[in-house]
Amino acid sequence: MSKKKSILLALVLTFVMLLSACSGNTNKAAESPQPTKEPQASAPEKDAVEPGIDTSKEVKLKMIFVGPKPVDYDTVFAEINKKLKEKINATIEGEFLDWSDWAQKYPLKLAANEDFDLIYSANWAGYNDQALKGGFLDLTEELLSTYMPKTWELMPESSWDQSKVNGKLYMVPQNRGESVEKLILYREDLREKYNLPALDSPEAYANYLKTIAEKEQGVIPFTPETGDWKLHNLDRVLLKQQFEWNMLDFDLPIGFKLTDEKGQIFNVYETEEFKGLLSYYKDLADNNSWSKNVLNNKNDHQQDFKEGKTASITHNMGTLGALKAAMERENSPFKAALADITPDKKKSQAVATQNGTSIHATSKNAERALMFIDLMQNDAELHNLMMYGIDGVHYTAVGDNKYQSTDKSANYTGFSNWSFNSDLNRDDVAFPEEASAMEKSWQETVYHYPLETFVFDNSKVKTEVANVSNVMLRYAIPLEYGAIKDVDKGLADLQKQLGSAGIEKIIAEVQSQIDAFLAAK
Amino acid sequence: MNLHQFWNDLVRYRIILLMLAPGVIFFLLFAYVPMVGIILAFKHYDYAGGVFGSPWNGLANIRFFFESGDAWRVTRNTALYNIAFIIVNNLLQMFTAIFLFEVGGKWFRKITQTIMFLPYFISWVVVGAIAYNLLNTDIGTVNALLKGLGMEPVDIYNTPAYWPYILVFVSAWKMLGYGTVMYLAAITSIDTEMYEAAEIDGANIFQRMLRVTIPNLYPTIIILTLLAVGNIFRGDFGMFYNLIGNNGVLFSTTDVIDTFVFRSLITTNEIGMSAAAGVYQSILGFTTIMVVNYAVRKYDKDRALF
Amino acid sequence: MSKSSGIKQTDRQLFAVIGYTILAILACLCIIPFILILSSSLTEESSIVVKGFQFFPSEFSLEAYQILFKYPDQMLKAYTVTILVTAVGTALGLLLTAMTAYCISRRDFKWRNHFSFFFFFTTLFNGGLVPWYLLMVNYLHLKDTPLALILPLLLNVFYIIVMKSFMSAIPEAITESAKIDGAGDFLIFIRLILPLSKPALATIGLFLALGYWNDWYNALLFISDQNLMPLQYYLYKMLGNMDGMRKAMMGSGAVVTTIIPTEGLKMAMTIVASGPILIAYPFVQKYFVQGLTIGAVKG
Repeated sequence: MSKKKSILLALVLTFVMLLSACSGNTNKAAESPQPTKEPQASAPEKDAVEPGIDTSKEVKLKMIFVGPKPVDYDTVFAEINKKLKEKINATIEGEFLDWSDWAQKYPLKLAANEDFDLIYSANWAGYNDQALKGGFLDLTEELLSTYMPKTWELMPESSWDQSKVNGKLYMVPQNRGESVEKLILYREDLREKYNLPALDSPEAYANYLKTIAEKEQGVIPFTPETGDWKLHNLDRVLLKQQFEWNMLDFDLPIGFKLTDEKGQIFNVYETEEFKGLLSYYKDLADNNSWSKNVLNNKNDHQQDFKEGKTASITHNMGTLGALKAAMERENSPFKAALADITPDKKKSQAVATQNGTSIHATSKNAERALMFIDLMQNDAELHNLMMYGIDGVHYTAVGDNKYQSTDKSANYTGFSNWSFNSDLNRDDVAFPEEASAMEKSWQETVYHYPLETFVFDNSKVKTEVANVSNVMLRYAIPLEYGAIKDVDKGLADLQKQLGSAGIEKIIAEVQSQIDAFLAAK
Repeated sequence: MNLHQFWNDLVRYRIILLMLAPGVIFFLLFAYVPMVGIILAFKHYDYAGGVFGSPWNGLANIRFFFESGDAWRVTRNTALYNIAFIIVNNLLQMFTAIFLFEVGGKWFRKITQTIMFLPYFISWVVVGAIAYNLLNTDIGTVNALLKGLGMEPVDIYNTPAYWPYILVFVSAWKMLGYGTVMYLAAITSIDTEMYEAAEIDGANIFQRMLRVTIPNLYPTIIILTLLAVGNIFRGDFGMFYNLIGNNGVLFSTTDVIDTFVFRSLITTNEIGMSAAAGVYQSILGFTTIMVVNYAVRKYDKDRALF
Repeated sequence: MSKSSGIKQTDRQLFAVIGYTILAILACLCIIPFILILSSSLTEESSIVVKGFQFFPSEFSLEAYQILFKYPDQMLKAYTVTILVTAVGTALGLLLTAMTAYCISRRDFKWRNHFSFFFFFTTLFNGGLVPWYLLMVNYLHLKDTPLALILPLLLNVFYIIVMKSFMSAIPEAITESAKIDGAGDFLIFIRLILPLSKPALATIGLFLALGYWNDWYNALLFISDQNLMPLQYYLYKMLGNMDGMRKAMMGSGAVVTTIIPTEGLKMAMTIVASGPILIAYPFVQKYFVQGLTIGAVKG
């Protein structure tokens, strides 16, 4: 009988502990929403605003960046703080979430409601999700126009719109268009060697890959990027770019036509275009255009290309241009060239939420934090410091909009200062001409489509999204790389599995959100 | 059972209870208090509400798992892999320990034992990289060897049937040194008088091993097995993920609950949903261990865990 | 000793042949991958990319180690933190583990099963990451303190129960006679039980030390101060920053160019991190070499 007693004792003890934990936390939970309201409440007090905002109280801001702490953080941030102190009587301290663990720590910092004011945010860092869970401060028009007048003036309306989640704004996006279209980087010397036509269509590219596979021993024709999205780089070239589609999210097989005014969405895996792409892929796979172990290969495709192990890769313009420049600088024995295999197709631009800065929902210094962002994007001196470090040490300014790297450049780089991108940015003088020219021509043909600013709120279909993402990995990716022998059966399997994972429910939900979005426009 | 009796016991065990206090406080604070987090499995977590203020949503969080159609398959895989690991690893470690104890000079023993510990230090990331280099079709060592012998190369990374064997082998290889130490300690603790008695009875070395050493290791075997049984529904994520990665072709034989949940939730990143999956594993593990422990208790009261 | 000449010579020889063969095969299986790692850590990255891992470096290079030791101060600091945390954690953890295990191993302690269950239950259920983080950071304020590295690994139910099973094997007669001599429970534990549990203490001590030495997860969660970074986390970060950066920027238009010998670096990390503890290992081993004669203590 004493058995019961001791269990009881343990239970009581546990319960007491739980209760104390509970009470500790409920207080906190009750407290936390208050600071959220504070800035909103104080913002509309117009009289305090117009001529000069009260900055008499010195504040320390804390911002969370992703990426490693730069080696020369102390010297550069000391310089930034000197200027900030003069201008807005504030200083900034950075906390850095390394690439190795940011994905775990980033949501944790928000979930645990740690003490910080600003945080780097981006669509690929779960911006929508975190905003919907209440991690970020709702930025009202009053707040923006009052505390960041320059940004308010210079930011394109569409960028603000793209950053809204359920009609509310939680981020100050970067103020610079960025291209997301994918290109091919290939070996020009090999193309010349086998006298192949220019790589300007999917067919020409397939021809190049098959020729290399057949004739060039020891070189793998194409290597994909490890850890890519489920609709990977090559899919984006051959589906999205080729057919002028876009996808809501590259981890969901839901697409729409850029030109479709009605915003009709469809299941990518059910289209004839996808079926066509599968036979294109199967043909390539059967002709050894990529490694048989492509699904397990963890090599860095850029490294493989540089070493001559692979004959083509895909990535965005900036990365491939820089890789090409690096190879030329190092006198690589291989001649690399960029190819757009879907020329003349409509180009779309990255959504603004690619890089942005958010204010923590419980920040006590939201006003000063907004003023800080305003300066970082639009004050030339501070912008240069934040983006490139100290002139003459970490970079050398060339004219108004270019810079040259120095041997100290590596000591101040590699973290997410990209949210402060703006027209004040400088470009690397070493960037290849050909890439810049291509980029420019794209800029001129950028197509703005009706759904550009639509954001999907997946909270009602989380279960289905989780399962669809799993099905894509298990059935779609092996199918695309030709690891399934019978393509038709593989496709049927994929479609069946997607059906039971609930794709129809997601599509219905997305469509109703899109209809409401377009109706409100 | 009355209060008086309880008080007497408290006095009688006061020193023992005092000695237990640090451990009890430790687990209360670091294990039982955070256990309130289990309620997150039944909540829709939002940041303003936190652990206690977030709204309840019943069993919605675990729906993704059971509606996926894969729940049974991955649960079965997880349990089967763990059972295989328990049997193979324990047998191998036990016999290795016996041989190490009985055979060889001081240096041979030291060197082999240190070498056997090497795999334990290699992180799963590196194990994954080495496995890829040994097993891939293009430049893998195994296939190079096969080709050298004039045989057809084997497409290991596209053939699910090979993987249960590979995974059991890798697990045995990695844990060999670690587990051997445990059995060595147990063998070392056997009273040498027992060996002497066996010798007087004229037992040869094989008989001695079977009749003295192994029976004396039963408690260790039972304890290690019981400890492992509580976790047979948890897959070693590091191992499965680094060896298999995102290769969907192999999932039919290699998917365990942990990898499945990770893949499903990587895009939604829902705290409540991963908590729910964890609770599912806990309940299965809890039920299993209660049954097994009860069975052991029936057989021998002292061998049971509790 | 156990190997008396009383056992028939032929059996012993047969046994030795089987034993040596099996042990030699196992040792080979364990060391071959390690040689591969060592060799790859010394190979030029471009050569790894083209030819895969090799048993002998075809193009010798120390680049991976040069990157690891680029900031020797940081590396030295990381080693110091790891050694201190391991030493303190192992010593304290071993004492508490043994003490706790002793209590629940006592057959005359009638609540022992309830306490065992109380401990064991924690291996089955846990609250997950967020509550754990909240407790450590917001309530106990252990962020960026050495305690955040020591406390989480201090006691482990698995070790307590293994220790308990060893201690249960100690004949009760020994403690009984001590009790009659008037020794208290604590004294019996210190004077009799601890010395008799040497192999178990060595085993659990080794496991605890390995746990502390290899831990990077607690550092990942709770340490951002560079002065408190343990070795494994430092290495993990270094690799992760090179590897993870590309992945994080997949969707972004940002430029990634730095190419780093990640394969070689992974291998060099393994060597650097496991080297010291492997050197220390043979010293622990002496406790497993000879059997204990419990009978001798009785007298």
